[in-house]
Amino acid sequence: MTDPLTLGIAALVVLVALIAIRIPIGYAMILVGGVGIALVNGIAPVFNQLKTLAYGQFSVYDLSVVPMFILMGALASKAGLSHALFRGANAWLGWMRGGTAMAAIAGCAGFGAVCGSSLATASTMGRVALPELEKYRYSGALATGTLAAGGVLGILIPPSVVLIIYAIIVEANIVTMFAAALLPGLLAVVLFILTIAIYVRIKPDAGPAHGGVGAAEFRAATIGMIPVLSIFGIVLGGIYGGFYNPTPAAAIGVALVWLYGAITREIRSRDIFGALRETASTTGMIYLILLGAELMKIFMSRIGLPQATADWIIQSGLEPMSVMIMLLIALILLGCLMDSLSMILLVIPFFWPVLVELNGGLYMGAEGSGFGMSTEDLKVWFGILALIVVELGLITPPVGMNVFVISSLAKNTPMSETFKGVLPFFGAEIVRVAVLLAFPGLVLWLPQVFGS
Amino acid sequence: EDYTFRLHHMLGQQAPAQTKMLEPWAKAVEENSGGRVKIEIFPSMTLGGRPPELVQQARDGIVDLIWTVNGYTPGLFPRTEVMELPTVYRNDPKAANLALYDMFEDDLAQDYAGLEVMFLHVHAGQGLQTADLDVTSLDDLAGAKLRIPTRTGAWVIEALGATPVAMPVPELPPALQKGVVAGALIPWEIIPPLKIQDQTKYQIEMYERERFGNTTFQVSMNQARWDGLPEDIQQAFRDASGRDWWGQVGDIWRASDDFGIKFATDAGNTHRILSEAETQPFLDAMEPVVDRWIEEVTGGDIDGAALVEKARALVTENTAD
Amino acid sequence: MAGMLEQEGRPEGTGAVARIVVIWALLGGALLLAVVVMNVASVLGTLVGWPVPGDFEMTEMGVAVAAFSFLPYCQLIRSNVTADIFTQNAGPRTQAFLSLLGSVIALLFALLMLWRMYDGMIDQKTYAYETSILQIPVWLAFIPILVSFALLAVSALSTLLQDVRHLSNGAIHD
Ligand code: NA
Ligand code: NA
Repeated sequence: MTDPLTLGIAALVVLVALIAIRIPIGYAMILVGGVGIALVNGIAPVFNQLKTLAYGQFSVYDLSVVPMFILMGALASKAGLSHALFRGANAWLGWMRGGTAMAAIAGCAGFGAVCGSSLATASTMGRVALPELEKYRYSGALATGTLAAGGVLGILIPPSVVLIIYAIIVEANIVTMFAAALLPGLLAVVLFILTIAIYVRIKPDAGPAHGGVGAAEFRAATIGMIPVLSIFGIVLGGIYGGFYNPTPAAAIGVALVWLYGAITREIRSRDIFGALRETASTTGMIYLILLGAELMKIFMSRIGLPQATADWIIQSGLEPMSVMIMLLIALILLGCLMDSLSMILLVIPFFWPVLVELNGGLYMGAEGSGFGMSTEDLKVWFGILALIVVELGLITPPVGMNVFVISSLAKNTPMSETFKGVLPFFGAEIVRVAVLLAFPGLVLWLPQVFGS
Repeated sequence: EDYTFRLHHMLGQQAPAQTKMLEPWAKAVEENSGGRVKIEIFPSMTLGGRPPELVQQARDGIVDLIWTVNGYTPGLFPRTEVMELPTVYRNDPKAANLALYDMFEDDLAQDYAGLEVMFLHVHAGQGLQTADLDVTSLDDLAGAKLRIPTRTGAWVIEALGATPVAMPVPELPPALQKGVVAGALIPWEIIPPLKIQDQTKYQIEMYERERFGNTTFQVSMNQARWDGLPEDIQQAFRDASGRDWWGQVGDIWRASDDFGIKFATDAGNTHRILSEAETQPFLDAMEPVVDRWIEEVTGGDIDGAALVEKARALVTENTAD
Repeated sequence: MAGMLEQEGRPEGTGAVARIVVIWALLGGALLLAVVVMNVASVLGTLVGWPVPGDFEMTEMGVAVAAFSFLPYCQLIRSNVTADIFTQNAGPRTQAFLSLLGSVIALLFALLMLWRMYDGMIDQKTYAYETSILQIPVWLAFIPILVSFALLAVSALSTLLQDVRHLSNGAIHD
């Protein structure tokens, strides 16, 4: 048999070429994985495996939470939650210089707490907050940059579809991953708000202050946030508190958001169809990629690639931390071209076994390990770091989906301005990655608290 | 190396099932063949699919060999299931494995169409592991939610007056901790890898280490692959999978189980062994599970009652050895 | 990816095909809602001591069947993720050709899966695979899944014809 590294690289080149000529990523992975296995081991194993592989893959229990959180987010977009959140945040923060932009960040964070997707968060909050930012004469760069960056909070604050997929790939506990994401997510909110504060200090015209709201509006806006925060509390609180696992939690979330929309009369029957269609297109796309990723994984295992890559890296004698930083940089670069979910599905099955080897094996404790932590902790820490850097791809050129989304909403601002406006937030994210690299405790502390 | 075989299974490569059982067995086959056989072990489902698909993967030749839990495909191995029953399996994995060996040709082989069985085995038996629930009588279990191991395990839980709950094994530690379930029927051997000692206070079994039923496992080869092998290569597999080996696998799982319970007691857990008098009501309560099973499987050419009788006799006989 | 945001204004194939595919996806959505309701009932039921038996396996089966029913719809509205950056400056004919290539792959995949999973269903039936608690025969789930792949083939054929039209017109579809 040919050397696994050569075979693996050849397969990756073909895969990238197919993706570059606009073959849907899921189909490209299915094609390369399937043909690859057939070339190495004959066509019979592929044909036989396809009898049950897709059903087995689609019926994984942990995965059932994905369409439910997507549905919850789709309903939340239509239920008027975003208005209530932004209005409340603006009442608290809007009076400051840059305050309305800060409110948009807070609103994104709040919405991110019920929605598992960045794009949905960006587009939903964009629709609500952009007109307000324009009304108060915020610069196009700051207004659109804030919302494109804020959308990322949809993924960074749990629940998060990407994080669920990561947990499934590395066999981590989803609840642990959600707990681990919480503090880093709040850190992102704080850093984004600080970024805006510094931005308007340097460029005061970009985010003018306005008079603030009256006492009556302040009270009404604050009270308006309570239902949204309650839904968040019931869904995630129930998960963290251990009353139910993520799938029933998501189901309860769907029911509560629907109930909220029905009470506020924001959700009409045609909105339900719209939400279901949105869920269908997003879920179908994700599941197709999952099937492709499974076939790729089988191909890679059959040629022995993960082991060969790990051996190669280990023989190169690089320090574990240097390898980690290189992996994160590679993910940031890939993120210029690909969307986050495809990246996680494509890359984590490679990277994770390498890190396990570097740390000293799957059952390694903290003592004597490569990263100075148990492999269980490494799984959690790396997951959060990877989550952050793959999400950066949403705001980096040339393909920055969040920027595209906000651009399509803000017709008066050229896209180049939005990319400029998002740059300071990119800087804030790099600071955050550095902080989390230096202080893994920020990631690992909450899971330990919930775990004991 | 003229013959390469892929052996696929669902546990990690550091699991005792791989290091203590599959690797030594593979090595023995390789040595018997004079180095002409090579068995590559693929742990953690790395060749794709979910654990319930393993049987089909072997049948279809997607992989050559599998190690799997029969109960992942409930109802697929009805005859072998007899050894999962409480009061049939009692307390001795070696005796159970030898009984499986002795009845294989006449009574169990029909379960394995499309497969060539290398060996069958059980673990050391389901213990009752609970978070806070100390159990000395059936009353203590009334209505308690317990995780099921297999379908026969679900019947055991119902028979004991508790409520069966299904969940994937990795969900078990958080579920125990948060009280989603009060406990689980699962062997001691699972304690170290899942760190169950942190989420439980009690490890409970009956008088003379009698357990609440068991789980059956198989290592099997694709039938066509087997039929295409020359006699000497087949012999290399046969010699590594003889009656002694089946018995030895019982000792291996007993040792893992002992290691597991020591882990729990070292962590300060209570290892409760019910007295003879305390045990009797449990045995009485579980007896109907055997009847339920007989009713379920009997039909066609399966005589459930005869299987139970034979299995009980062989277990007793092999225990006496 | 854009399919997450826009539902209207996308090519939806010919009338009858589009309608059937959308209805099939919405039926899958209704099944997903049923799983949602069952899970809520299970949580509430557990609180009052009436747990729903077999909730895990019903969730697994229901969500899987729903997910398969979404595939034809994804093809119809072309919402499967593509990376557009290398080809965004290509001419309309090139774009139409590449799009056609995607439709061909989808069509072949659908036909292959239809054939393979039909055999899969026969296996499930022959060996009587069933779920642990409710003992639901697994092959039952394969019936709607086969329908989904048949519809995926139809859907891919419809986008394929669309691509052929665009290729001959030299126009682009989006
Ligand atoms: Na989120
Ligand atoms: Na990007």
